[in-house]
Amino acid sequence: MVFASAGLWAQGGDPAAGKLVFKNYCGACHNKDMKTDMTGPALGGVEERWADYPREDLYAWIRNSQGLIASGHPMAVELWEKWKPVQMSAFPNLTDEDIENVLAFIEQEYTKQPVVAQGPAGTAGGEAKADYSWLYWVIFVVLAVVAVVLSRLIARMKYLAELKAGNADAQMPAFGQMFRSKAFLTFFSFFVLAWLSFTVINRAINLGRQQGYQPEQPIKFSHATHAGLHKIDCKFCHDGARRSKHSVIPSANTCMNCHRAIKVGSTYGTAELTKIFASIGYDPSTDSYIENYDQLSQEEIEKIYTKWMRDQYMVANGSFDAIGETTVKQQWADIVSSLTNETKDKIQGPIEWVRVHNLPDHVYYNHSQHVTVGGLECQTCHGPIEEMEVVRQYAPLSMGWCVNCHRQTEVAAFKDNPYYQSYHRLHEELASGKRSKVTVEDIGGTECQKCHY
Amino acid sequence: MKKNKQNFWVGVAQLKDTQKFEEISSNEFPEELPLEKTLTEEVLQAPASRRDFLKYLGFGLGAATIAASCDIPVKRAIPYVVKPDEIVPGIANYYASTFVRGGDYCSVLVKTREGRPIKIEGNSLCPVTRGGTSARAQASVLDLYNVNRFQGPGMMKDGKFKAMSWEELDKKVSTALSSAAVVRILTHTNLSPTFKAVLKEFTERYPGAKVLTYDPVSCSALLQASEATHGAAIVPEFHFDKADTIVSFGADFLGTWISPVEYARQYASRRRIEDVKHPNMSYHVQVESHMSLTGSNADKRILIRPSEQGAAIAALYNALAAKNGAPAVPAPKINDKAAAAIKELSNRLQSAKGKALVVSGSNNLGDQLLINAINQLLDSYGNTIGFERVSKQRQGMDREAQELLGEMNKGAVDVLIVLGDANPAWELPNAEEFRAAMAKVKTKISMVGVPNETASLCDYIAPDHHYLESWGDAEPKAGVYSLQQPTIAPLFNTRQAGESLLRWAESANFDPGTAEEPPYYRYLKKFWKENLFPQQSAYSDFQKFWDHSLHDGIFSLPANADYAVNPVDVQAAAGMQEKPSSAELEMAFYETVNIGGGQYATNPWLMEMPDPVARTTWNNYMAIPVYWDGGNEWKAFKGLNENEIYGMADKVEVEIGGRKQTVDCIRQFGLAENTLAMALGYGREQIGVCGYQEGVNVNPWLGLDKNGNVRYYATDVAVSDKVGEDDAFACVQYHHTMGVKGKDPKTGEELNVDEKTVMTLREGYQGGLTERSVLYYGSTKNLAELVEHIKEKRSEAQEWVENSLYPYDEYNEKYYSQGHHWGMHIDMNACIGCGACQVACIAENNVPVVGRKEVSRHHEMTWLRIDRYFFGDYENPHVAYQPMMCQHCDNAPCENVCPVAATNHSSEGLNQMTYNRCIGTRYCANNCPYKVRRFNWLDFSTADIFPANEYYVSNEEVPFGADNLTRMVLNPDVTVRSRGVIEKCSFCVQRLQEGKLTAKKEGRKLVDADVRSACQTACPTGAITFGDLNSKGDLAKRLDSPLNYYVLEEVGIRPSVAYSARVVNTDESLKPERGEEAHGENHEG
Repeated sequence: MVFASAGLWAQGGDPAAGKLVFKNYCGACHNKDMKTDMTGPALGGVEERWADYPREDLYAWIRNSQGLIASGHPMAVELWEKWKPVQMSAFPNLTDEDIENVLAFIEQEYTKQPVVAQGPAGTAGGEAKADYSWLYWVIFVVLAVVAVVLSRLIARMKYLAELKAGNADAQMPAFGQMFRSKAFLTFFSFFVLAWLSFTVINRAINLGRQQGYQPEQPIKFSHATHAGLHKIDCKFCHDGARRSKHSVIPSANTCMNCHRAIKVGSTYGTAELTKIFASIGYDPSTDSYIENYDQLSQEEIEKIYTKWMRDQYMVANGSFDAIGETTVKQQWADIVSSLTNETKDKIQGPIEWVRVHNLPDHVYYNHSQHVTVGGLECQTCHGPIEEMEVVRQYAPLSMGWCVNCHRQTEVAAFKDNPYYQSYHRLHEELASGKRSKVTVEDIGGTECQKCHY
Repeated sequence: MKKNKQNFWVGVAQLKDTQKFEEISSNEFPEELPLEKTLTEEVLQAPASRRDFLKYLGFGLGAATIAASCDIPVKRAIPYVVKPDEIVPGIANYYASTFVRGGDYCSVLVKTREGRPIKIEGNSLCPVTRGGTSARAQASVLDLYNVNRFQGPGMMKDGKFKAMSWEELDKKVSTALSSAAVVRILTHTNLSPTFKAVLKEFTERYPGAKVLTYDPVSCSALLQASEATHGAAIVPEFHFDKADTIVSFGADFLGTWISPVEYARQYASRRRIEDVKHPNMSYHVQVESHMSLTGSNADKRILIRPSEQGAAIAALYNALAAKNGAPAVPAPKINDKAAAAIKELSNRLQSAKGKALVVSGSNNLGDQLLINAINQLLDSYGNTIGFERVSKQRQGMDREAQELLGEMNKGAVDVLIVLGDANPAWELPNAEEFRAAMAKVKTKISMVGVPNETASLCDYIAPDHHYLESWGDAEPKAGVYSLQQPTIAPLFNTRQAGESLLRWAESANFDPGTAEEPPYYRYLKKFWKENLFPQQSAYSDFQKFWDHSLHDGIFSLPANADYAVNPVDVQAAAGMQEKPSSAELEMAFYETVNIGGGQYATNPWLMEMPDPVARTTWNNYMAIPVYWDGGNEWKAFKGLNENEIYGMADKVEVEIGGRKQTVDCIRQFGLAENTLAMALGYGREQIGVCGYQEGVNVNPWLGLDKNGNVRYYATDVAVSDKVGEDDAFACVQYHHTMGVKGKDPKTGEELNVDEKTVMTLREGYQGGLTERSVLYYGSTKNLAELVEHIKEKRSEAQEWVENSLYPYDEYNEKYYSQGHHWGMHIDMNACIGCGACQVACIAENNVPVVGRKEVSRHHEMTWLRIDRYFFGDYENPHVAYQPMMCQHCDNAPCENVCPVAATNHSSEGLNQMTYNRCIGTRYCANNCPYKVRRFNWLDFSTADIFPANEYYVSNEEVPFGADNLTRMVLNPDVTVRSRGVIEKCSFCVQRLQEGKLTAKKEGRKLVDADVRSACQTACPTGAITFGDLNSKGDLAKRLDSPLNYYVLEEVGIRPSVAYSARVVNTDESLKPERGEEAHGENHEG
């Protein structure tokens, strides 16, 4: 009965519309797999849990949870006891329809069979390519043996021929003499030279490239936790990627959207999150932003945040001891060194991250072109970012790499986006079957002034 | 009349010594590599030992190894702490604001990136400028990042600036004001109604205070004449678009006079040929003594000596008076040619009665009164001159500055406050006297933002914000209100002048405000709420009204049209006129488009922008006339400047009124006989680095007339013989010469100067083509003939275009015919040569400034140049301006000679230049028939990592553009080029890419408005149209005209830029081509 009614309700909403609502309002705190807790509880089965109460209560809860708690609703109070002090934001602007839609979406996501997550393009395909390089070595060794045997044979035959010709002084050359022959030296030098040139050229080309670059960052921000575990959409924080050339490193106030509620980290406790607070001037003890933070001295700031760290240490350990003293001291020292550097002597102000992906100044790259127009996943270029504790440059970001992708990648929405209508010949070819796809290269995507101007 | 109608030319050198000219012009770069200057004999002869060789080899290897093993420096990515909602890094924001400097006005959109203003665009909602801009407005963004700005308040002690705090300064000023009996505020024209309210509060608080207004280049006679005729000192509304016949007595209304952006648009609307069968062109006559920008666009120029202007006006008045039964005035004799021409002109004007407009730039009251009388005779009032929206763009009265000087001399002034750009200690004709009188003023306060001569003599400096940091408003024309909003927080500890004055006036309306809402913002808003909001009815809520006005940048109210047109006392007017002088030599002084009265001299972009007519940069050369003997002989005044083409100018000593100065000369066409001309505004002494002692200050040579108005000419001129030579002749007129035909004096053969060495003539090879289509011109009389001629020439050219090695049709079918194919059209009748596009291009594309010395070596980096060609009569020629930039040829000759394919063609028809691939062979530049490619000879932009390569523009401490302040103006979407690479116009590819992306993101077709080049948006007259040749947009319409041609089309390289032929509205038949006859053969006695 409960299931049936849940099912009936679910049919009342449109999951597709609900997806948008979820993305805009819920996705920042609730896991989109609907099965695991994040900042907020897992939403799967929410309707069952609320089935004992009128539907309106659920609406009220979603619109303004604190209101419902204050009114003493038993379910609301139970949830609050479990989750406090994390407060759910109020969404008074959500209509009943919105809520039905989002509930439908939750139900759909919760009940659907788990699909194997699509891997990033680079590693997609599942099985690794079989490595056949050992074969080359086998061939090399066989050939080398054959060469040695042949050379010995030739030497032997020469020797025999000499003997036959009556040259009594003739000697069978020693094995080592083979390596002193002109022919061998010529071949050997040629190979050495070729290998040297190959290496030098390759190294020269790679000068300035940073594939695998994984610098230490001022904050141990973990993409594995945020994007991997909690499945926060990349573009939620890197909001520039949709609309600008820059993906945009999120500002501290973006972090505060969630971390005003989550003040102590699961891995590093107060050590890392306090850096954000100290950057923006948020006092977690009083849950308020500090007035005239910019004018405070380092000592004053130290007082505020060491108090916070000390309090949290006490909460965690029950008392404040010598270890606590050193921990707080160390954490503070780390905060100071992370938020200051040779050009920035104040703790206040922006967090200066180390740039991982550096394109040269003469390259123009636009994120929105690739993300919004091209519909690419971030992972295509940035790799399995959701698995990285510390971000690493995954792709070589070389011109060859870019061009190669432009040659292979099909233009997204070539048929649907009216912008591309001016490419009438390509459309005709597609329609007539003369062409199976239109790649970025076909519409000029490998020309110099697409990236260099 | 000595005449040759068949030729067009760029300068005397070309006409006189064709061979030499060819030699110079045939090379892309005219000089040898400048090695001999850096490598002395000693260096060249120094023996190199094996030991040295090994040393260098070892060092080189070691250095390379170390450099290669260096770690890549750590780069930081710094996000906002709290990101402002409206800023998305990487996306530009546009704010409507107002460029105002004295009376110069332009409503603008300021493009900001990451909070930095980087480019000025026109605001199309403005009824005055309609989206047009001027070179001055375009360049104004660079002034914001001027390293010489005052960085805070201070006092001048022993000629040195000593910083102080605002509190200290306010205290000192208040003390001085409280004990002062006479306070004087001196200002240039001020357009701001709110600021005027501030001044009113100030003068009410200090009853001894008075505001005096003057302008650096004066229009006070015009204002005085208005006072007499219309009852108020206003500039009436001129309608150049409604006039069939326009006569201007020395008023440079397209370049500098009152409201050039507005007038240029009006003027050009009647100069375009929309329909070749019925050309509806206005007829424009310019009566002047040297060639101004406006004169160069005229259909007919009547040459008079500067002192003859009054008599010429009187002559025209008399001729018209005779026809209309009005009394005549005494008119002295002027030169015969001009007298005859004016008589003829009067007939034409009379027949255009009601559709004629006569204006004058004269600063003589009598002249201006007679002009008003002439316009009354012609029924201009109510037709071509209106009062609905009178202009307020000039308010300065010369007599007010003189009045102040008199008071100061008497020691009667206690406190003098000098506002903004006002610089009386340099600008006034008697500036020396003013400087002396300043010592007699107890307290002097300057509010200028950048050091000037007056500020250096003041006691306190209370620096004002730059306009891009300011709140403010302007009322350029009655009822048109333009808002100014800051686009960046103040860079320095400056304060708005309005706020300072309110504080000093202890105003009751002063609201200290907050950091977000500074006091002057509150004051401005209050002023609008109390004064403008009640006058409108569209909005009932003030905040909505305010938001809307701020968004648009413009708010208009119906204006009061209540001005009288009183009869002019012509006899009295004639009595006030200046009489023609009998002096042998006269000199005219004029305002240039770029430098103005000197207030713009601190801007390197404007300093390096060539004067449109003289084509000179960084200096005010004295224009000297050239004379032609009717044969092959050309002689310049006193035989000067024989070596102009080699980058040499002669120096002479000029004495006027007992003051002697050494000036550089330039030969100039279109000067009246025995007349010299020099530009105002050069030779500043206190300005910071740029503009410092560039050129000669001519202000001391100016005089005052009977009415106390400044006289912009001198008659007692004595010029010495050559006293020296300037080897940095920074004139670009002989640079990048293209497609010009000459005649070999030995063989008498016609030659293409840029290709003469390639082939013998008329052999059918590219190099043998002689009929070069650089410029087509004709007159309205033979328009049909011109159309026919262009058609014929273009069909001849087709042969060469089609007989190409390259399979164009295949490319066209495969690439160009689909997607985009970019193209441009330039209407040479709408182009007035004002140079706004050139500065816009510099700002948009990070084009470096190279300085005077480098310009003289042909190293200017401008991607867009405006070629100026003379044609017609040698002694009084017509002019055509041809903006020339990369033509993006579809069979580009530059592309196939590049050894590294750094320049190649895109499927959208762009001739792409990839800087990072360029190795600097310069083959492309050598092979470009248009000579539009520029080579970075030195590290002009200081992008190089080796400081030794950096180039100094002037004597600045840090190379121009190397300091972080100036670099803030750079467009982050365009690469800054380093030494050793070629660069050129890219059709603003960054804008194309942005426009395409916007369309893609919005999922719609591309429209014209998405892709507009910087030059196109800057143009006040809409002469440039950019677009997609594959679409049916604006460009397609323009390309329909039968007057269109492609420059050097016969070379077969398929350029993408079309030009329309230049047409002059005259009965004279200008043969629509360059004829076969060379110069000097076809002259009529």
